[in-house]
Amino acid sequence: MDKKRLSLTIVTPERTVMADRPVDSVTVPAARGEMGVLPGHASYVVQLREGVLHYREGPRKEFFSVHGGFAEVHKDKVLVLAEAAELAKEVNEERARQSYQKAKENLAVRGAALDLEEATAALRRAAVRLKIAEIRRRHKQ
Amino acid sequence: MASLRDIRKHIASVKSIKQITYAMKMVAAARIKKAQGAILASRPFAVEMDRLIADLYSEMGSEGLEGTAARELFAQRPEGPLCLVLVTADKGLCGSFNTNLLKAAAAWLRENRGRKIYAVAVGRKGRDFLRRLKGLDLELVHEMVGIFPKAGYAHAQLLTDEVLKLYAARPVSGVTLIYNEFKSMIAQRIVSDRLLPLQSHILEHGEARRGADFSFEPRKAELLESLLPRHVAAQFYRALLESQAAELAARMSAMEAASKNAADLIDGLTLKMNKTRQAMITTELNEIVSGAEALGG
Repeated sequence: MDKKRLSLTIVTPERTVMADRPVDSVTVPAARGEMGVLPGHASYVVQLREGVLHYREGPRKEFFSVHGGFAEVHKDKVLVLAEAAELAKEVNEERARQSYQKAKENLAVRGAALDLEEATAALRRAAVRLKIAEIRRRHKQ
Repeated sequence: MASLRDIRKHIASVKSIKQITYAMKMVAAARIKKAQGAILASRPFAVEMDRLIADLYSEMGSEGLEGTAARELFAQRPEGPLCLVLVTADKGLCGSFNTNLLKAAAAWLRENRGRKIYAVAVGRKGRDFLRRLKGLDLELVHEMVGIFPKAGYAHAQLLTDEVLKLYAARPVSGVTLIYNEFKSMIAQRIVSDRLLPLQSHILEHGEARRGADFSFEPRKAELLESLLPRHVAAQFYRALLESQAAELAARMSAMEAASKNAADLIDGLTLKMNKTRQAMITTELNEIVSGAEALGG
């Protein structure tokens, strides 16, 4: 008998990153910690934070950075509605490092016009991208 | 009568104008493909988002909604100031695209004369128009210029933040969105949408999968509260993309017409130039012949 698999769909407002991709397991960055999803998971709706989403497809593991959004699990279908999602290989490490620095400086200065929430969000986004880049490097070696 | 030199100059200037309009047409034609693609690409997200909201609502029921911040976005408010979001182009040379929009906006303003209006302008043309208005109780709260033709979801989010902030802070009784919808390559349609308060029909959206027994994290009300702004953002995003594609389509047809007119003008002028030259040669010949006759006779 065919092993049960999940079907993963990731959509962002700007594009459909993947549609109905059969995968073995998915881990999403839920608002209160990572959440792993295997076939046969209960129906679930969860809010996401910035973080690393990864899925396993046989021996292959693929990483994504997602920035906020929602995930819905229903009948072995995983639907991720993210505000932005990038494949690991699309992340530009140099740019991420720069924006990380910039966000840190912004936070350190804390000018009157600074939107604190916005700045911390930028910092988190950059941190996620850096992490993805690191994972990518480790996997290449 | 215009001299040969004048006509040649005229032809040269029309030719360079034609070159510009033709280039603009080609640029618009190249970009429109991308803009159309963006509209298509944004659809799945909006559809899934609406379905998720409907699912969530069917789980919660209307009692669950009472007393939450999400309820606020649906509640009809007493008559008060209004908010207008006007999406226009940044640049001209796109036929009646902006004119029609501004006409529609002016009509809307006339309809709501006497009420305080908070305006949000997207696109330079609309901003300039709203700034020029006199004798109206109008406050330009936010403007966004220079985003076309690279409007992204980030812009829609910014807009949403601004509008929701305004909606929360002031007793605004409604938010209206006026923009051009991309209907086809040759036609645009002006749409004025009531954005807020949200209509409850988005909650009773088609086939909500009842009885699916979902778990939620965080709680349903909180989830709905963070979903709704994203619904609004998706609406804005769609409006921006539609307007962007419509602008390019309008520019393309306007520039095509301009290039055609320029070509016609050049044809006419060339004919005139040739006639003038022929007339000059004839007169000269006449003079030579009559001069020779005078000498010989």
